[in-house]
Amino acid sequence: MPLGPTSSAINIQANSITEAVHNAPRTPTNITIHPVALFSILDHYLRRTDSQDRVIGTLLGTRHDNEVEVRSSFAVLHSETDEQVAVDMDYHRTMYELHHKVNPKEVIVGWYSTGSNLNTYSALIQNFYSQETGPHQAIHVAVNTGVVEGEEAGVKAYISSPVGVFPKPENCVFVPVPVELRFHDAERSGLDLLANTAQASSSTSSQPIADLEIIERAVTSVSEMLDRVLAYVRAVLAGEQKGDPAVGRYLMDTLGASTDDLEKGGFNSSLQDTLMISYLANLVRSQAEVSSRLALAAAS
Amino acid sequence: MPCRFLRSCIVYYYKFDFPATSLQKIMATSMAAALAASLPAAPAASAAPAPTYEAIPASMAKVIDIEAEIPLTCVQLDGLVVTKIIKHAREAPSTTAHGLLLGLDLDGTLEVSNSFPLPHHAGDDDEKSAKSSARHQASMLRSLKEVQADDSVVGFYQATTLGAFFNQTLVDTQAIHQEKLRHGGIVIVHDLSQTARGNASFRAYRLTATFMDAYRKSNFSTASLINHRLTFSSILEEVPLKIRTNPLLSAFLGTLEDSKKGGLSSSAEGSKTNSAINPSFSVLDLGTGGVARNLEQIVEAVDNYRTEEGNLSYMSRQIAREKAKAENYIAKRKEENQNRIAQGLAPLPEEDVSRLFKIPAEPSRLESLLVLGQIDAYGKSLAGTASTSLVKMYAAQAGSDV
Repeated sequence: MPLGPTSSAINIQANSITEAVHNAPRTPTNITIHPVALFSILDHYLRRTDSQDRVIGTLLGTRHDNEVEVRSSFAVLHSETDEQVAVDMDYHRTMYELHHKVNPKEVIVGWYSTGSNLNTYSALIQNFYSQETGPHQAIHVAVNTGVVEGEEAGVKAYISSPVGVFPKPENCVFVPVPVELRFHDAERSGLDLLANTAQASSSTSSQPIADLEIIERAVTSVSEMLDRVLAYVRAVLAGEQKGDPAVGRYLMDTLGASTDDLEKGGFNSSLQDTLMISYLANLVRSQAEVSSRLALAAAS
Repeated sequence: MPCRFLRSCIVYYYKFDFPATSLQKIMATSMAAALAASLPAAPAASAAPAPTYEAIPASMAKVIDIEAEIPLTCVQLDGLVVTKIIKHAREAPSTTAHGLLLGLDLDGTLEVSNSFPLPHHAGDDDEKSAKSSARHQASMLRSLKEVQADDSVVGFYQATTLGAFFNQTLVDTQAIHQEKLRHGGIVIVHDLSQTARGNASFRAYRLTATFMDAYRKSNFSTASLINHRLTFSSILEEVPLKIRTNPLLSAFLGTLEDSKKGGLSSSAEGSKTNSAINPSFSVLDLGTGGVARNLEQIVEAVDNYRTEEGNLSYMSRQIAREKAKAENYIAKRKEENQNRIAQGLAPLPEEDVSRLFKIPAEPSRLESLLVLGQIDAYGKSLAGTASTSLVKMYAAQAGSDV
């Protein structure tokens, strides 16, 4: 950031500007990112040409009140030299239209770049995207891919505000905004799958995984957690460790869950239902199989 | 290609004393162009406005394209594609989200490295939607090529619920792909309901050779089914599927999972909203909410099958009736002729019966075959749910006894 650390004075200026303009959309105070967007950025970075230091692209998503939800992203061509920066706008427009056709709810919310280097060109590109997103503010997400030694991988999000007596496009302050990863519950299993794959030594995993295997994994992890809790509780009881009341309450809420329903005959009736379903399913399958075989035998 | 930037870019000129970096050029190497040319054209629909390359003579194409000789043994799905498909499948308005898979084949492994969704057309007339979809595909492929992403189509993906993905469109599309694409292309089926239950499920399929043979002749009469030994289970063959994460993604996921550091800078509230991936236990959920829906689907599919069978038997009765009529006619004519010969008259000519009686062609049994396949798939997914919930119930009981 060429302008040094953000000071409170600059923040005040940013606020005063938004207050001055009535009906101006509120500045985003929270940004969430969907894994797809992140992974697309990483993929784009992987496919950059040798001469590119960083890659940029457009972020698509939705806005609610103060929150910007980044749902997907696409790569945009650009070139940077020490004299000029160029963004292929035609390309940006075409891609946006293509995405818009498939997913009309997603609009342009800002742009991403890799690396955590914010420079004058960043300000210029930010200026360009502000025109695209207007009247809303464009957000900028900087993804540090962690390939540079000494820098940790991570994601930072910024909004910009103009600075100086005479605002110029190449001068602006990037104000950091909190950012978090968000995904739908249903997508959770996909992420788990990738995380497990990433941990494997060959970075590959074969599909399909049996349901039982996943249940086993979950049960193992639960039992590990119980072991950890048990160790903690024993330590507290033995007086080796000071008990945390908050932890105690959480434990009470979690472990106090009643299984009475299951014990009072609920189990047996449930079991019967499940067995019935299992029987029915197998019956249907064998009927289907017989039927298809009969079709083959009919004429012969 | 560098001149692209002059096309219509907003170019800002500013002089600063930044360290000089070399002028960047984005150019399509001739090598890549040659490679691309050796790949077969994308499905007819998408090929229309594709960029033109220097043509490789047909005689040479075979020689250059060594990969085509190696049979496909495995499909490798990139992490990016996994998330893209899941996202599209969840957000799509209908349950049949579909899109194209892009990638390369190498040493018998089909590497799927990218994908993009295709727009969903509801109510449009077919030709119009097909055209706009083709345009969409073509411009998407062109755009992806410009940012060095893989741009050769290797198949398509299809989202499904409860495992029943057999339908006419899937078979038709895959048949076209199998004819046009090298290695036939594959279809990746993603099961939404299973994913919601905590087991992200992806399977790769392609049509079997026997089915393709029958499909090419577009003959699904009983005789043809018997000849080809076709049942619903021999329409598609499964190709082993692997999921792969590239090293960069693996490293990044590692950072995200590392909850202490918190991959993304967390908000002010502290560790509770920390974006690191929290463990989830949706797999252990005892709820059997999906079962009723599954049973409904089975009933629906069985009804469809009954209707289809009814149609088939009606048609075969009609055929039998027409045939009987024709035979009657021939027999009558023969009798008459014998009488005439006995009376010394010239026999009447034996006319072409097929012109007099239109015997309808034997009905295609493909539809009923597919519906049977659906019933089987629903049954399979129901059986799967039942067996896992049994395990979970006993586990819960064992837990509550302690």
